[in-house]
Amino acid sequence: MSYAVLSVPDFALHALRRSDPELCGQAVALVAGEGRKARVAAASPEARGIVPGLAAALAMSRCPGIVFRRRDPAAEVEAHRLLLGAAFTLSPRVESTCGGCCTVDLRGADPARTEALMRLVAVELAGTGLPARIGAGATPLLASYAARCAEPVLVVRDPRDFLAPLPLAFADPAPAQAEILRGWGIATLGGLTALPKAEVGRRLGSEGVLLWERAAGETLRVLRLVEPARSFAAEWAYEPPVESIEPLFFKLRRFAERVALELRGAGFVAEKLSLTLLLEDETDHRREFRLPEPGADVEGWMRVLNAHLGTVRTEARVAGVRLVAAPARPPEKQDGLFDAGLRDPASFWENIARIAAIVGDDRVGTPALADTHRPDAFVLERPSEAVTPSVEAPVHPPCGPTLRRFRPPWPVRVVCDAGSPCRLEGGRLEGDVRAALGPWRSAGDWWKPQAWAVETWQVELAGGGVYQIACMDAGWCVEGILD
Amino acid sequence: MAPPSQTVSELRSLLAVRFPERARKPCGGVPAAVRPIDDALGGGLPAGRLTELVSAVPSGGGQTVVAALLAATLAARQRMALIDGADGFAPEAVPAGMLRHLVWVRCRAPEQAFAAADILVRDGNYAAVVLDLRGCAERALRRTPASAWYRLQRAAEGGSVAVLVQTTSPLVPAVPWRLVLDTPLSLADVDAPRDAVADRLAVRTERSHPQAIELAG
Repeated sequence: MSYAVLSVPDFALHALRRSDPELCGQAVALVAGEGRKARVAAASPEARGIVPGLAAALAMSRCPGIVFRRRDPAAEVEAHRLLLGAAFTLSPRVESTCGGCCTVDLRGADPARTEALMRLVAVELAGTGLPARIGAGATPLLASYAARCAEPVLVVRDPRDFLAPLPLAFADPAPAQAEILRGWGIATLGGLTALPKAEVGRRLGSEGVLLWERAAGETLRVLRLVEPARSFAAEWAYEPPVESIEPLFFKLRRFAERVALELRGAGFVAEKLSLTLLLEDETDHRREFRLPEPGADVEGWMRVLNAHLGTVRTEARVAGVRLVAAPARPPEKQDGLFDAGLRDPASFWENIARIAAIVGDDRVGTPALADTHRPDAFVLERPSEAVTPSVEAPVHPPCGPTLRRFRPPWPVRVVCDAGSPCRLEGGRLEGDVRAALGPWRSAGDWWKPQAWAVETWQVELAGGGVYQIACMDAGWCVEGILD
Repeated sequence: MAPPSQTVSELRSLLAVRFPERARKPCGGVPAAVRPIDDALGGGLPAGRLTELVSAVPSGGGQTVVAALLAATLAARQRMALIDGADGFAPEAVPAGMLRHLVWVRCRAPEQAFAAADILVRDGNYAAVVLDLRGCAERALRRTPASAWYRLQRAAEGGSVAVLVQTTSPLVPAVPWRLVLDTPLSLADVDAPRDAVADRLAVRTERSHPQAIELAG
């Protein structure tokens, strides 16, 4: 097999259904034409007894409750991009043949692997609401015939046997040609190709030769290749604007499915997602999610997005949504001999993202001390993938009980005797000081507006408890407890 | 009539067959590197179980236990999570090199802490999860339904993570192990090596359930 064709029957109908959650499981028909001339163009399987060409009024009487819709160009563009994204996972040489159909040049690919991949793609597309049929053959035409017969994947290995029983209509004869051939008693492609090509040409002219070649699946053509996606974004405008979160989830999942396929087709993964909710009052809500584990896993993305959207409250209704994935090359890593990596990296990063959605992005991570002596100065960094063993003993081994801070510090009034604290009053902490250590004075950033200076004491209260108190510009405060 | 010991033995066997998840043997433990605590727990924080550490007095040593656990997990090249209910952890209080395996969750309310604990306890990447509820409003903690604690216990049972819950008063219903720190440290301990301070902590065992292990065995 050298070519494959991915085709979606009733493409416009499927594109519409996958874009609107209300149409799931409903009897739906696409109609064309206005008023009394409106006719059914396509109908979902739930619309029993409805066939294309039926008058809309008649369809309504046959199938009460049927939903009539017109074609939705935006939904078709979105669905076609999904199909193209799937095609690019098979080969980088893809033609966008027409709406709901694309042709892939598979020359040079491993046939066994490609066939397995095609089956996977068919399953994946069906899962996204786009039941594609995939045919493969020696020529683009043969592949398109195969796609029309596929359930859902068909690879043509013996063209003669495959073509012989197919009806003549597959070769798209002109009405006059069809009439003549019917008179000859020829109804299948095999019947036509059984005739000598030259004799057919002599009787039907050059058009007859072309028809014979189409019937034999021999017609070769140059594919008009398209480039893989270079921007990985999706956008949708809601009409009318939505108030609940379910339509957002639905649409974001559809976006994620398409963008993930496009990324995979282009050999990328996403390292960052950017979500924008366009609000009815012409403001917007933007949020960027850095994916600590770059990937193209739709479920992982959805967990991150759902965790965030579950906490979002907007002032106005949502009129549109935009999702942008920042591409990156897939990470390649090798475990070290002596460090311990993550048992389940995907779960680890997903859970970090879920927690960030609960407590805030800036409140989860691995603490690292900032390069300053300012009290309580630290930054939260991205947790490391591997835990490396500790090789060096600390220069200053830790001493005494460990400080636990009160954030914010508790204001307190300190009574001093001979320069040393002797009683704490007027705050959340009161009592006589049994013993005190200090002062430790430090200052910094004196050349900046944020200059600071602090005098720290450690005090033991008569009622029990060792506390760290500090005197700053704003007065005394209890920084924490030595615990 | 069978002797009582035989009946109990049969009952345990039956329970182990009917409820294999309950009879799962705790897969080891995580040494806290605090001798009194490890002694009380028979070697360390039990994996797959909750342990409640009650700091009944100020400066009881609860934060020193966290620091010791940080050092112990790093030495074993394991990952540790600290769910800080009142955002009290002070990174500068432990050596900088001892923080790189820590995931610190700075919560603003107990509800956030419970939500984070529910997620992290199910994550298979941590050896120890510390849920520090000291400093949280007592009223808010008392409002926590018992079902939240049972849910956390069930979640822990499915994995190999040791969960240490730090409180200021007994809070966790039906917790298998509850230890109490009821002797305050003093200013005289400030200059002592931290390991020595940890080893001097006065730990009282208020509740222990050795039968949980016995059943598993």
